[in-house]
Amino acid sequence: MRRSSLLLIALLHAAPALAANGGATPWWIWPIALFVLSLALGVLAVVAGVGGGVLFVPIVSGFFPFHLDFVRGAGLLLALCGALSAGPSLLRDGLASLRLGMPLALLGSISAIGGALLGLALPTEAVQVALGAAILGIALVMMKPPGSTLAGAPQPDALAAALGMHGVYREPAGGQDSPWAARRTPGGLAVFALIGALAGMFGLGAGWANVAALNLLMGIPLKLSVGTSGFVLSVIDSSAAWIYLNRGAVLPVLVAPSVIGVMLGARVGVRVLRMVSASAVRRLVVVVLFVAGLRAILKGLGVWL
Amino acid sequence: MSPVPAEQTVYARWLEWGTRVGLWLLIAAFAAYALGVLEPQVELSRLPALWGLPAERYQAMAGAPAGWGWLRFLHKGDHLNLLALALLSLITVVCYLRILPIHLRRGERLLAAMVLSQIVVLLAAASGALAGGH
Repeated sequence: MRRSSLLLIALLHAAPALAANGGATPWWIWPIALFVLSLALGVLAVVAGVGGGVLFVPIVSGFFPFHLDFVRGAGLLLALCGALSAGPSLLRDGLASLRLGMPLALLGSISAIGGALLGLALPTEAVQVALGAAILGIALVMMKPPGSTLAGAPQPDALAAALGMHGVYREPAGGQDSPWAARRTPGGLAVFALIGALAGMFGLGAGWANVAALNLLMGIPLKLSVGTSGFVLSVIDSSAAWIYLNRGAVLPVLVAPSVIGVMLGARVGVRVLRMVSASAVRRLVVVVLFVAGLRAILKGLGVWL
Repeated sequence: MSPVPAEQTVYARWLEWGTRVGLWLLIAAFAAYALGVLEPQVELSRLPALWGLPAERYQAMAGAPAGWGWLRFLHKGDHLNLLALALLSLITVVCYLRILPIHLRRGERLLAAMVLSQIVVLLAAASGALAGGH
């Protein structure tokens, strides 16, 4: 783990010089580099329990020669493809809930469209600095381990009852049915509106925030939160991805190798998950996020180009 | 009784097929594009001089079509990739359209209204009407 951390940091350190010389480097180097990076990010994302977009956007925008517009478009599509692939089995096995996710996804997707439009209208440097600040904030959030703070028998609040945000969750291990219900729903809806805006503006996906909001704020069981997060993410990212597609901010040479790499990496990650300590990988992800967040801020401010 | 509602199982089935088709199309389209089987609209060797520009300037310099204009150029490798990505971005709408009649048949008006609202939001985003310009 320490060796791979050093290799990743060395690669990130060397990349800006290569990127600055991007015009002279043959075009095919970059899709291959993206594929290799995305493969590694796919492994890390699964083991650390985060979406690929949150790592992809700050690293690629900071260390690769592509404009931030294209990186954000790719980040959204990367997160979208991951969520779409994982969705069917999670929904079929009851590890995700449509009824829980639909109201959150509706609000999140409206704000994601607004976030995407705002992100594409603002000056690149301002978005880069804001992205760096958001990434540092996410790294801080990730330092806190998940675990619901709400105890007692689940009773939906009035809004959750009206929207049907309750049901029965079957534990995959024991097959035991346990009832669940959303609580603090108005606050949850507000948080998902914010998550949607951030996802659309920065192309980050939203997995890192969805799980915390569902589990810590709304009192949803952790496994159901993780599964439902993927469904909500697929709807939010679909909405925002269309804004980037329609504005020409999607480059196939950036998106395709990244999507293919991260999907293969996720498959490897599922195997790696059994062999390594998830908390150690999570710590590595936090370190990478801190480095990438600082790099984004310094690049946006023109200090380290 | 299964704790998984029927509409969720239907949604999962459609999502699985749509994603499978979209991802295989993306892999095939990218292989055809990168290996030169299909000629791209923007030469791959020109890309390093263009991909550092903002999207709007890239479009102007590369002569890339705006909005859904790429549909007219599906014989070009780069635009065929956009078709695959557009399909992947449309799957959610298709799945929502599929479960709408289930909620309507059951008389679940609030859920049906929510599904319908989501379809409208996604189609509005896809239409390009919201994308505007700088």
